[in-house]
Amino acid sequence: MKRYLKKSSLGLFSVLILMGCLYQGFTFLVHAEEWRQAIGPWKWVFPKDHGSHPEFRTEWWYFTGNLTDSSKNRFGYQLTFFRQGVLYKANDPNHPWAIRDVYLAHFALTDVSLNQFWFAERVSRQGPGFAGAAEDGMHVWLLNWMARMEGNRIKIEARHQGMELSLDLVPRKPLVFHGKNGLSQKGPQQGQASYYFSYTNMATEGWIKTPQSPSIISVKGTSWFDHEFGSNQLAPGQVGWDWFSLHLSDGQELMVYFLRRKDGSMEPSSSGTLVKPSGHTLHLKLSDINLEVLDYWKSPKSGGRYPSRWRMKVPSGGIELELTSLVASQELLTEGSTGVIYWEGAVAGKGTSGGRPITCEGYVELTGYAGSLGGLF
Amino acid sequence: MKIVTKSFLRYLPRRLSLSLLQLMGVACGVAAVVGMTLSAQTALKSFSKAIEFLRGKATHSIQRPVGPMEESFLSSLARDPAVEWFSPVIDRQLSLETGSPVRLLGIDPFLDRPLRPELAQVEWLGKKTDVAENLLSFLTDEKAVFVDQDLKEEIGITSEKTIDTTKGTLHVKGSFPNPSGEPLMIMDIGHAQKIYQLQGYVDRVDLILSDEYGFSSRWNKGFLIQSSRQRSETFSGMLQAFRLNLEALSLLALFVGVFLIYNTAMFTVISRRRDTGILRSLGAKRLEIFVAFLSEILILGVIGGALGGLIGYFLTQLLTGLIGSSISNLYFFLRPEPVAWSSWIPITGVLLGCSASLFGGIIPLVELIRINPVQAMSGRVASRESARKAKKVALGGLFVLLLSLLLFLLPGAHIYVGFAGVFGFVLGVSLLTGIVLLVFHPVVKKVLQILGKLPGKVAAGNIRQNLGRTGVAIAAFMISLSMSIGLSAMIGSFRQSLIWWMDTQIRGDLYIGKILEAEVPEDFFEELRKIEGLGGVHPYRNVLTLYRNTSINVSAVDARVLEKYAQFGWLKGGNENWESVKQGGVIVSESFSRRFGMKSGDIITLEGNQGPVDFKVGAIFYDYTTEHGLVMMDRPTFIKTFGDRTLNNIGIFIDPDHPRRAELLQEVRRRGEARGLPVLTGAQLHEEILEVFDTTFAITRSMRVIAIIVAFFGIAGALLTLFIERSREFGIYRALGFSTSQVARMTLMEGLGMGLVSFFLSIAVGTVLAVLLIKVINIRSFNWTIFYYPALKPYLLTGVTAILASIGAAAYPIWRVYRTYPQIQIREE
Repeated sequence: MKRYLKKSSLGLFSVLILMGCLYQGFTFLVHAEEWRQAIGPWKWVFPKDHGSHPEFRTEWWYFTGNLTDSSKNRFGYQLTFFRQGVLYKANDPNHPWAIRDVYLAHFALTDVSLNQFWFAERVSRQGPGFAGAAEDGMHVWLLNWMARMEGNRIKIEARHQGMELSLDLVPRKPLVFHGKNGLSQKGPQQGQASYYFSYTNMATEGWIKTPQSPSIISVKGTSWFDHEFGSNQLAPGQVGWDWFSLHLSDGQELMVYFLRRKDGSMEPSSSGTLVKPSGHTLHLKLSDINLEVLDYWKSPKSGGRYPSRWRMKVPSGGIELELTSLVASQELLTEGSTGVIYWEGAVAGKGTSGGRPITCEGYVELTGYAGSLGGLF
Repeated sequence: MKIVTKSFLRYLPRRLSLSLLQLMGVACGVAAVVGMTLSAQTALKSFSKAIEFLRGKATHSIQRPVGPMEESFLSSLARDPAVEWFSPVIDRQLSLETGSPVRLLGIDPFLDRPLRPELAQVEWLGKKTDVAENLLSFLTDEKAVFVDQDLKEEIGITSEKTIDTTKGTLHVKGSFPNPSGEPLMIMDIGHAQKIYQLQGYVDRVDLILSDEYGFSSRWNKGFLIQSSRQRSETFSGMLQAFRLNLEALSLLALFVGVFLIYNTAMFTVISRRRDTGILRSLGAKRLEIFVAFLSEILILGVIGGALGGLIGYFLTQLLTGLIGSSISNLYFFLRPEPVAWSSWIPITGVLLGCSASLFGGIIPLVELIRINPVQAMSGRVASRESARKAKKVALGGLFVLLLSLLLFLLPGAHIYVGFAGVFGFVLGVSLLTGIVLLVFHPVVKKVLQILGKLPGKVAAGNIRQNLGRTGVAIAAFMISLSMSIGLSAMIGSFRQSLIWWMDTQIRGDLYIGKILEAEVPEDFFEELRKIEGLGGVHPYRNVLTLYRNTSINVSAVDARVLEKYAQFGWLKGGNENWESVKQGGVIVSESFSRRFGMKSGDIITLEGNQGPVDFKVGAIFYDYTTEHGLVMMDRPTFIKTFGDRTLNNIGIFIDPDHPRRAELLQEVRRRGEARGLPVLTGAQLHEEILEVFDTTFAITRSMRVIAIIVAFFGIAGALLTLFIERSREFGIYRALGFSTSQVARMTLMEGLGMGLVSFFLSIAVGTVLAVLLIKVINIRSFNWTIFYYPALKPYLLTGVTAILASIGAAAYPIWRVYRTYPQIQIREE
């Protein structure tokens, strides 16, 4: 879900990346009526649906994960690919530089033991082979960052200056389809929806390199993968969202998001999904979830004041958790290109599930807490 | 001490006209130096600034050795482990309606931003609120461009507007800041490919590399990889000869300027001998006199220097543009910003004015305080003594001349040595002026007597009598005139050589396309070839590449057509030289041969698309298109080596007696124009080349004018000093019965005499200077031979200038004669 919301900033990415302009809607650029709307059930066909759906305006492939090395040092990573449609039909489809879509990607690494966080971002048109997404299966790339699924295994790779990542991801559970068999309604209007599915638990193995590690670090862990596509806009009146994806030590996964409105209330469509060890899912409504912020962290760079410690209760799932960010500073300031500021980082916590003590780890995304950095740079 | 100094300084306002003239002397000298040096520096600095700006944060660039690079390599580049970032670029030129050239950069805004963030700071011209719509239009409108802010102001646009260019009508969507001073436009790379017919190609890729060695080892074959430093060096290397010439002109300005200030300061000192004598006999100490003089000289230096700095600053505003357009014509589009005002300009002027004044004043000053008061009071130095001194100086002059001769004889010496030789020659000759004046005194007397009767004869005597003063003034004037003759004769000969060269190489009836911007589609070439009756359709390609890490030009020609229709100027042999070209060899320009020491039969190795290729040099030809060296090969050889099929222009040759000649020419012109290509007749192309030539030498010509102005003040100062000094003599003339008009004529004859002597001396010196510039400086800095074409015009022009300047210089003293002569009495005698 959170990814769906991201699309408003996606448009913004393109605008800002291009010319460093102010925060303006990208929405003017596209004639929404041309794009296919997320209406009605989708007939899922895999591996084809892991690929691109260019008839929809916005699409993303989103990887986050918690990793450890052989010395039990903890790391976190995020690698995200976005496709944002600009023109439904390129002006000159045979010209490789003609613009139809813009591809964007974010790459972040967290070293918990060093209390360090690094990120990078990219944007490009398809051009002569710079970026793209296959339609017959998962192969999405942006320059030398890529994600590719072969058989049951997803390979992800990224390299930027001192940061590097090369991981193999193998699902431990089947795909989870959110909402109504993957049709995730976002607003009251028809078409205010997206198609959305996840691998919530993927065994992860490979290596990473941080700007401070002298050589590559072999790592293992668990990843979360989301794939979502749609064409509609974010509802007006929303200022941001808090999104949680958690792996519980009893084999369950919990995804929860809250849409925050300008007046301080939560969007009624805020919801979540609890994935049982068997892979069965339980849809959670806003009223099923109780979230309390225990502490805040103030970014010295953006001035944004982000929640940093939470107490979360899901009574219908028998879950009670206390969560803390593993590194306070996991804020992405994309002043070089996008101007969008958000916090996305590794978290961990403990609590009880069905009365039994458990631990958990995962990723949290917090947006709309800091204004645009435009004035600062 | 104060009293002495005060009494000295009182002299300044008392002799206001002389003081002003001296002040102007210093000011003009300083202005010439400041103006020339500062504008040369500014233009060169803005050149390197433009290079830096274009380079952005790129550490390297990769391109084909010749011609554009296939874009299919881009995705592999993106994945190369050494590539941190990359941005493909199309780097071309177009011209605005006004004819001014603009660099057009075709970039991918997404990829380019990390390298050149400045380009992304766009100020939209459309509705500012509708950024997204504006942006979309830049990416999707094939004619959309951003222009740099200066260009925007130049065109005078405030809202979205179309501008007409040689690449069609473009839509200006916004502007961006450009600190580089180079007129710049940005277009989306995909659209730039279309307007330059480069689909599938880019000109180069700018890179940020983390591992140069690793990258080079993977991309070493068929590509040219340059670090940004190398690239800057290549660019500034292109400018080297030009830079040298600017330096030489600045030095020349310095020489003339210092000479003038020296002249002025010396006059200040020697015209005050009598006052010194009086003060000394009244009990003033030597030190007091010294300090008094020093303050006077320094006051002149400070005020004149500051004023000169100011004039120099205004001069710079003019000269910078001239230098900029020369650079634009020859190398790189540039719009140097005029120097910004800085308090350092007058400070530099003051320092220059003071040091040159001290340099000029110190010897006569030391001499003055050493002689005894009686001698000093007697006024001027006895002529016998000045004759002895002139001989001594002449000996020094001979020595300097000998030294410079040695400099010229040094084999393979650096261009700076050549310059040193030229300056030595000028200095040496100027030191000989006194003795020449003594030797030719009888002739001068005769001439002036014929021109001015008795006053003329007296005037000649005066010139001889006041050798110490007149000698220096004549020397300064002579040097300015010689420079004028030398530079004019050199430029004239160069122009004639160029005309000769054009007649050998550019003999086509029509030329389609311009070398720098318009590329001619290959299918058009094929289309023209099919027209029956055309004697020759000549495809021409000229492109920069590197040879031994320096820029050279390579051109592709059709040897068969040129053999038949052109008459190349060969250093050796004749048209049989084309045989080697037909057989896959190359011919090279004289500049290439001299620069790299290549002879016929030598082998040169050029980097081709498939790696290095050896070529045998078949012959050497005269060429003035580039001082960097030109390698010419047959088109099939060129395509085989570089895989570049681009055409810069097409030459059309029709036999002069062809019955359908006019009709055919009309047909070709029609077809070319239908394709929007520029079509020029051979004569028009010649004219355009000459126009570029003339613009290029505008700066040299303006230097000539500055030299004359400086010299004018020199000679005027000398005349006025003589006049003021001799007020007492005028009393005697009056007693002898000289009428006002006779004295006026005498003054005029003195001016004219000095002017004429200067001019006659400059005929010889200027001619030698021209020969030195042509045979030493040009060959060493441009590596090409200019043929010396004697011409009367520079001499006539300089003669007229000399006469007018000397009459002009005498005008004020004459006016003084008319105003004061009748009142002059013999007061002391």
